[in-house]
Formats: sequence, structure tokens, C-alpha cells
Amino acid sequence: MSTIFPVPSLSKRKALALFALGFLLLCASPAFAHQLEKHFKVQPRSVITIHNPNGKVVVKAWTKSEVMVVANHVSDKVEVDAQQTENRVDLVTHQLADSISPDELRADYEVTVPEDAELQIHDDSGDVSVFNVLGDMNVETVAAGVDLEDAAGYLTVKTVGGAFQCIRCAGQLEVSSISGSFRLLDLRSYHVRAETSTGNIRFDGEFLPNGIYRLKNYSGIIEVRFSPSDSFDLHARSVRGKVNNQAKLTPPAHPNQPVSKYGNTLLGTFNAGRARVELSSFDGTINILKRD
Amino acid sequence: MATISCKVFPNYLEFGLEGQRHPDAQAHLRDCPRCRALLEDLTSIQASAKDWGAAEVEPPAHLWTSLRTQLVEEGLIRDEQLAPQRRQKWFQGWFVLPRPILAVAYLAALIGVAFALSGPVNERINRQRWLDGLQSSTTPVRDHLARVEQNTTLSPLLDSNPTVTASLHDNLAIVDNHIALCEKSVREEPENELARDYLFDAYREKADLLAQLSDRGGYGR
Repeated sequence: MSTIFPVPSLSKRKALALFALGFLLLCASPAFAHQLEKHFKVQPRSVITIHNPNGKVVVKAWTKSEVMVVANHVSDKVEVDAQQTENRVDLVTHQLADSISPDELRADYEVTVPEDAELQIHDDSGDVSVFNVLGDMNVETVAAGVDLEDAAGYLTVKTVGGAFQCIRCAGQLEVSSISGSFRLLDLRSYHVRAETSTGNIRFDGEFLPNGIYRLKNYSGIIEVRFSPSDSFDLHARSVRGKVNNQAKLTPPAHPNQPVSKYGNTLLGTFNAGRARVELSSFDGTINILKRD
Repeated sequence: MATISCKVFPNYLEFGLEGQRHPDAQAHLRDCPRCRALLEDLTSIQASAKDWGAAEVEPPAHLWTSLRTQLVEEGLIRDEQLAPQRRQKWFQGWFVLPRPILAVAYLAALIGVAFALSGPVNERINRQRWLDGLQSSTTPVRDHLARVEQNTTLSPLLDSNPTVTASLHDNLAIVDNHIALCEKSVREEPENELARDYLFDAYREKADLLAQLSDRGGYGR
């Protein structure tokens, strides 16, 4: 005797397939229990502040005079507050319970702002990424890495251990860290000041006329790339480490800084010396290399 | 007509300023006012030297002999008969130079000796001054940082975020290590301005870190 199983009809099969697909999608999507989306109309040169203890912060620019905030968090023990005061939008993650795990503390932000917006971001751990924002920017983190692309204005970044990367940035850049490494690539900044203790610093950008470029660390490697057409005055010194140089420098007739008798110092002019490049390390190596 | 030159004239004086002189020397003296002045100066110096000796009590002759014998025995001097003559010739060569040059050379020698003697002393004094200055400026900072560090406790929020806690502690240890290394460098080379700069930077970093730790007590609430 054969047993015949009932075959579902076509409409039932479709319903089952849709249910399974929906279940799979539900499982695959991030488990954000709470999502906040808000829109704020702003005037030119608006200010956006973000305070987040843990999580990912992504800021992008668009051409609208509007700030769009999408924030996600899992736990009920935190809440995201987004408020506008005149031309300023404040985004804050509040902790609601004393006892909370790192995962419960996490909140992720995706914020879209006008191009000329000014940003003030504080994110202890996680990541901060900013794209195409041309206003002034201040980013402070403890362990979070910071990634800026196509930014301009007056950029100040401070981390404790987070790495920093700046690609195609312009304007003025000041970055400091204790153990974070820096990658400054395709820069068009006229003023760069980068200081880290144990991190590496890699600078591969333009030396603009009258620009000042100060890179300093305690240990680690400072690497600067130059092109044959670049023009800069170089002052590189390492108290205990080495200075390796591939640039053909002419000694300055009147050095504007006294040459220290301690450590290894390299002083000279490349082409007309239109920019000033100051590299300093205590125990690290300084490499001045030709661009590939 | 002068029969000898000024350069060789002092050689004719090596057997004494008084008594019979060589005819060439006498002829040269008649024609050369500079050598005449030199002879007058030397004669005057000799006379003064005799006067100084006359004012003192002459020691017994045997004293010098016995002293010399003892010094030779102890190997402190050598009994060379010709040495005084060589020294005298070398010394007399100086009188060929004009007196202004001699005066300048003497002054230069004095300054050189003064510098040579004062160099190490000045170096020690400068070093000590740098150390004193550094100590007076860094001791209060170090003490203050130590007090702040003792009073700084992590907030419950930081305890809930071990990534941040670990990062702050790790970086505090890095900065403390840098402070120790920079202090060592500065002690070894107190005039090294780069080492001092790095030491002050390390103190500033520590102050920043401790301020961050303190500020986080109410963060996010």
C-alpha cells in the first residue's frame, strides 16, 4: 500500500516560500530593536554634535538644507536623543541603567548633513567615518578609529588609542593621539600638525606653497613621500632614532632653526623651499622617500 | 752699514748682556734703534732682577747642591747640562718678534688658559643649573599628577565598556613609560632641548589622560 502525501496547492506553496523568505530576512537583518529616524531643517553653516559612548558613527553630506538622523540601538538600557536648538542639532546616547554591558551600550548613527555643516563628534569606542563634509570638524575618541574622506575646513582630531586616516582632505588639519597611527593620503592641506606617541605617521600628499607640515612622534615610523616637483624646507630630527632621506637637499644659507647637537638632524631645502616640513621623533625612524 | 740682521742679533747676546760684544753686533746696535731698545729693556730687566735678589737672604750654597742631588736621585729632574742652553736659545727666539705681537700672544695665551681651565667648570655649573631648573619646574607637575592619579577612579560607565577602560589604562602605561625614559634622557643630557620637549609633552599627555578619566564620571547621563 502506498501512502500518498498531500501535495500543497500552488498558492499554498507560494505562501510557504514567502514565509520562509521573510523568516530568513528577519534572521539576517541586524537585530536592532530600536530605530530612530528624524529630519531637521537647518540654515547654512549648521552645527551637528554627536555624543556616543560606543558604536559606529557615519556622517555623509548631501546638497539639501536638512539633517537626517537614523540611529539604531538594541538595548532598552540606552536611548537616543535627537534635538534641534536653532541651527544646532544635538544627538546624544543616554545610558538609562547603571549596570549595562558593552553590547547594550552600543548605538549606531547614520547622519546626513549639508556640505557646509560643522561637526563635533565624541565617540569613545567603535568607528567614526565622515565623507564629503566641508565644514569645520572636531572629533574626539578614546579607542574608536577615525576615517575622514574628502573633508575640508579646520579639522581637529584627538584619539587616545584610535587610528586616524584622512584621504583627500583639505584645509587645516590637527591630529593627536597617544598610540594611534595616522595615514594622511592625497592631502591638499596647507597646515598639518600630527602628533602621536607610539603610532606611525604616513604622509603622502601635496606640500602646498607656504604650507606648514609638522609631524611628530615618540617612537614608531614617520614616513613622508615627495615628488620631484615638490618644494619644501626640511627639518628632520630624531633624538635616538635614524633619519633616512632620499631627497637631494641643498643646505640652507640661513637656517631658521638652530641645529641641535643632540641626535640626528637633517636640514635642507628641496627645490625652492616653498613649504616647511618639520619631522621630529624621539626614538623612532624618519623616512623621507620618493613617491612611487 | 749693518753687518747682521735683527733676527740674528739676539744670538750675539746669549753669552751675556755685559762685557765685550762682537764687532758685528756693535755695528748693528749703532744702526738699529729697535735692537738698541731691546738691549736696553733686557739690561733694565736684568738690573731689576738683581735688585730683587739683593733684597732676599741668600741661602747657603750647599743647599742648592743637596736639593738638586736629591731631586735627581728621586727622578724628579734630569741632570742635563745642555738643556738650559737650549731653553735659553728657544726663549731668545721670541725676542725677535715685535713687542706688540708678543703682548697679543701673551694675552691670547692667558685667555686660552683661562678658557681651558674654566670650560669643564662652566660645563658642570651649566649642567647643574639646567638640572636645578628642570627639577624646580617638573617636580610640582609630577607631584600634582601623582595626586590626581591617586584620586582618579573609573566610573561605572567605563567599567561597562572594557574596550575604553583597557585603552585608557594601556595608554596611561605608555605615557608613564615615556615619562621615565625622557626623565632619564634629561638627567643624562640636561641641555638636550628635544629631550626636554618630549618630557613636557609626556607630562601634558598624562594630564590629558587623567582629565579624561576624571571627566567621564558623569558622561552620557
